[in-house]
This record gives sequence, C-alpha cells and structure tokens, in this order.
Amino acid sequence: MNKHPKPIPGDLAMWIIIFAELLVFGIFFIAYAIVRINNVELFNDSQLTINRETGALNTILLITASYFVVMAIHALKKNLSKKSSHYLYASIACGSLFILIKSIEFQDKFSAGIDIGTNTFYMFYFLLTLFHYFHVILGLMILFVVAIKTQKGHYNAEQTHAMETAGSYWHMVDLVWIIMFPLIYVVR
Amino acid sequence: MWSGDKVNRFYNIHTLWMMLVLLTLITYGLSFIDANGTAIMLVLIIVAFAKGVMIIRDYMGLKGVSLLWKVIMYGWLSVVCLAIVVAYLVS
Repeated sequence: MNKHPKPIPGDLAMWIIIFAELLVFGIFFIAYAIVRINNVELFNDSQLTINRETGALNTILLITASYFVVMAIHALKKNLSKKSSHYLYASIACGSLFILIKSIEFQDKFSAGIDIGTNTFYMFYFLLTLFHYFHVILGLMILFVVAIKTQKGHYNAEQTHAMETAGSYWHMVDLVWIIMFPLIYVVR
Repeated sequence: MWSGDKVNRFYNIHTLWMMLVLLTLITYGLSFIDANGTAIMLVLIIVAFAKGVMIIRDYMGLKGVSLLWKVIMYGWLSVVCLAIVVAYLVS
C-alpha cells in the first residue's frame, strides 16, 4: 500500500493564488455576517428584493460547468483530446450563461436605481458578486485557452497539468459561489 | 480532480453532480419558508458546508493529498461557515 500522499492537482503557483483568493472572499463573507448583526432588518428587507431564481439557476450552472471540467480531465487522461475539448466548451457555455444571467441581474438593479451606494446590504451585494463575476470571466478565459490547445492536440494523457491547473481555478470560483448563494440570496 | 477511478455504482462523478444540484434545489426551496429562525439558517449553512466538502474533495481532487492542503481548504470552509453561524446567532 502506497503511504505517500498524491501531489496536489495542477500547478502549485495556481494553488497559492487560490488560497489568496479564498482568504479575500472569506474575509468579505465574515465581514458581511458581522456588519449584518447591527443591520438585521435592513439586510433581510433588501435580501427579499434580489432574485433567488437567478441565484439558484446560476449555482446549478457553475456546478454543471465544474462537472464538465472534471469530465474533460477524465477524457484527456484517456487520450480523448477532442472529446475533452468538447467538455471544456460545454463548461465554457455554462459559465457564459452565468455571466449573461448575472449581467441581466445587475442591469435590472441599475435600472431600478439600485447601486453600490443604496445601502450597506447592496454595498456588500455588489462588492461580493461583482468581485466573483470578474473571477468567473477570468476563469472562462483560462478555460478557453486550454480548450483551444486541447482541441489542437497540445495535451494528452501524460500532459494533464495545464488542464488540472485551469480546473482547480474554476472549482475555486464554484466553491466561493456555493457559500455566496445561501449567504447573500437565502439566509435570513 | 475526481479521484474515484474505480467504478462506484452509487457515488461517482455523475451522482455527485446530481447531489449538488439536489442540494441547490433544497437551498432554493428553503428560501420560501418564511422563517428567519435558527434551524433554517443552520440547515442552509450545513448544506453549503456539505456542498463545499464535495467540491474540495471530489471536484478539486484533494482526496489523498497531503494533510497541509486539506487543512488549508477544509479549514477555510469550516472557519467561514462557523463565523457566519456565530454572527447570525448573535444577531
């Protein structure tokens, strides 16, 4: 039996970035919960004005995008580069839909005259969701580059490092949203 | 990434995805219960924690890596969830 732990998937530098990002998001989440202590009514009332349906749909889209990334790595490990790239494109499609839905949600808020200065809840809402929004866009760009290179046959079963690195970043984006959805949209 | 190379009839990447979707729908469903009670809050945070564990262990593939990485990732998830619970309990 092998007692040595397996190496962390992907590049160590990416994991350091992931830890830094998680730290920042974690501080934001805790700050939200602490500031809410003295503004419970304001937070609860404002929370009811945001769209839970789009929040839930976006959660499912990110979970599905992560699922496709895992499937892409599986396919690449079997030397199925084309199939792997198709999974990545499916993941990119889910992530792009997330961006589209979130953009519509932001547009709705802005047209209703709601912005980052409306109140403390909305300050956190925009700060957290916009910060995450840009991370999704960056994740999509990384996945797109990896998908093109995979399609062109640059990676194979022995070269999964780049895809695992991209995948790790994408899963971090997913993980952050998993906490953000109940915190901002649901828990009262 | 997913390290469950052995075929498992009940717990594999496909059923994991289904579980994550189901837990998301449960979270969404609970949002309609007009109760800002402690029990609902606890269930929602526990569900989020469970989803986080699944993503870290199975999507990110941290099952079987050295303890340090697990401590950082699960530690982050635990501290964040615990801090949220404490803040909501005192509010």
